[in-house]
Amino acid sequence: MPRLDEVWRDQWGRLLALLVAQFRRLDLAEDALAEAFEAAARSWGEEPPANPPAWLLTAARRRAVDRLRAEAVAARKQPLLVVDARTQQEAERHMADTGEPLLDQRLRLVLMCAHPSLAPESAAALSLRLVLGVPTEDIARLFLVQPATMAARLTRARKKLALAGVPFALPDEATLAERVEVVARVGYLAFTAGYAPTSGPDLLRVDAADDAVRLVRVLHEVLPRGALLDSLLALVLLQHSRRDARVGPDGGLVLLPDQDRSRWRQDEIAEALALLTPLVSSADPATPYLLEALIAAEHAVAPTAEATAWPRIADLYAELEDLTGSPVVRLNRAVAVAEAHGAPAGLAVLEGVDLPGNHRLPAVRAELLARAGRPQEARAAFDEALALSGNDVERRFLSARRAALGNA
Amino acid sequence: MRYVLLLAEVDPSAWDRATEGGRQGVLAAHRAFDEAVAQRGKILGGEALDRTDTATTLRTVDGVTTVTDGPFAETAEQVGGFYVVDLPDLDAAIETARLLPPRYTVEIRPVVPVEPY
Repeated sequence: MPRLDEVWRDQWGRLLALLVAQFRRLDLAEDALAEAFEAAARSWGEEPPANPPAWLLTAARRRAVDRLRAEAVAARKQPLLVVDARTQQEAERHMADTGEPLLDQRLRLVLMCAHPSLAPESAAALSLRLVLGVPTEDIARLFLVQPATMAARLTRARKKLALAGVPFALPDEATLAERVEVVARVGYLAFTAGYAPTSGPDLLRVDAADDAVRLVRVLHEVLPRGALLDSLLALVLLQHSRRDARVGPDGGLVLLPDQDRSRWRQDEIAEALALLTPLVSSADPATPYLLEALIAAEHAVAPTAEATAWPRIADLYAELEDLTGSPVVRLNRAVAVAEAHGAPAGLAVLEGVDLPGNHRLPAVRAELLARAGRPQEARAAFDEALALSGNDVERRFLSARRAALGNA
Repeated sequence: MRYVLLLAEVDPSAWDRATEGGRQGVLAAHRAFDEAVAQRGKILGGEALDRTDTATTLRTVDGVTTVTDGPFAETAEQVGGFYVVDLPDLDAAIETARLLPPRYTVEIRPVVPVEPY
C-alpha cells in the first residue's frame, strides 16, 4: 500500500485538476484537497482504503460542496475560472472509485499555471503549488523570499487567472507548440532558482531543487512529446545528478574538477543520456536547452576531470553563444577554451565581455591570469570578485584562491 | 468575457506618412481582426482616437481639480484607439489581437462588470 506522502506526490496534480475543472475556483479546490489529505492522515491509520485517490477525490468534493453551501452570498460571487461545459461535466461525472483510472487533466492545469500572461516567477511558483502541491514555505525557500511574500505572490497569480479569464483548456495545435516553450521556460526557471547562489550560508537547497526537478518531470510527462522537453529534462537531470558532490564535508563549494565523481547519480545520468541520444542526430536546429544538456553530458561521461573533452565543450559553447548572444555563455566559453587551448586563449575570449555587478567575470579572469603566470593582475581581479560576491561560501573560496598566490 | 483592447503605438504620425499600400495593409489587418472576433464572439465597440496633442486631462489632487493639456500618461507609446470585445477567454483575446497591425502594442484588460446604478 502506498504511503500517504507518496499518494500526495503522485496524485495531487491529477486530483486538483479534476476539482478545478468541476468547481472552477482554485482556492476552493486547493483547500478542499488539502483538507481531504488531512482527513486521510487522521483516519487511514493501519487500514487505508482500497483506492486512495478515489477516497481523496470523494472527500475533497464533499468538503468543497459543504464550503460552497456555508459561504455567504457575497463570497460566492468570486470570479470563476473559464472552463468549457464539457470539461466541467467530464470532471463532475468522473468517479474514480468505479475502478477506472483517474482522469488526467493535468495538461490543462500546467498550461494555465504557466500562462504567458503571468510573470515567469509567479508562473513557476504557481506550478509548484498547484501541479505538485508543494507547500508555500518550501516554494518561498526555493525563490529565496519570505513565506508571506510568496503567499501574497501566489494569491495575486490565482486572482489574475480568474479575473483575466485565463482558460482551463487545451489550445489548438499551433498555439500549443508556442505554449510548450513558455512551459519549458517556467520549468527551467524553477530549476535554476534552486541553484541560484544564496546570500546566506546555505549554498545549495537540494530538497528545494528536488521539487523543481519533479516539476520538470511532470511537464515532460503531460506535454506532447518533443525535443524541447526531452532536452530540458536531460539538462536538469544531468545538473542535479552532481548535487551530492557539489558541497564538501565542510559545507564548502566543490568545483566540477574536484568533485568525487563516484557520488554522481549514475541512474540519472543514464536516463539523461538516453533522452539525448536521438536528439544528437536530429536534423532540427539545436535549442539552447539541448546545447546546455550536451555540455553537461560531456562532463557526465568524462571518467576524470582530466579526460574531459574540452575542445568539444568549447565548440558547443560557441554554438550556444551564436544562438543566445549571452555574455554569460561567452564567459563559460572562455573557461572551456582555456582548458582546451591554454589560459591565454581563454583570456582572449574574455576580452570585451561586460557583466556589470557580476562577480564571476573577475573571478574567472583572476583564475586564468593566475594560470597564465600573471599573479599581480590576478590578485587585483580576485579583489574585484570578492567585492562583488555576496555568498559566504563563494567568498571563502575566492579568498583561499587569492591567498594561494602569495603576497608578492 | 468582455475585454478592452487598448492599441498603442510608438509613432502615431506614421499613419500620416504611410503610403496608400501601407494604409491598405493596416485596414486589412483590422478587417482580419474583426472577422476573427466575429467567429468566436463579437465586437461591442471601438474607436480610433485623435492624436494625443488633442487630449485634455482632468486630475484631482487634494480635492482640487485641474484641467491640463495632453494625455494622462506621457510614455513612449500613446494610446491611439481601442476595441471592446466579448470573447470566451483570454486566449481568444490574445489570438485575435495578434491579427491587429503589428505597429500596435496591445494591452488587454478584462472589463469589471458594474451593476447599473
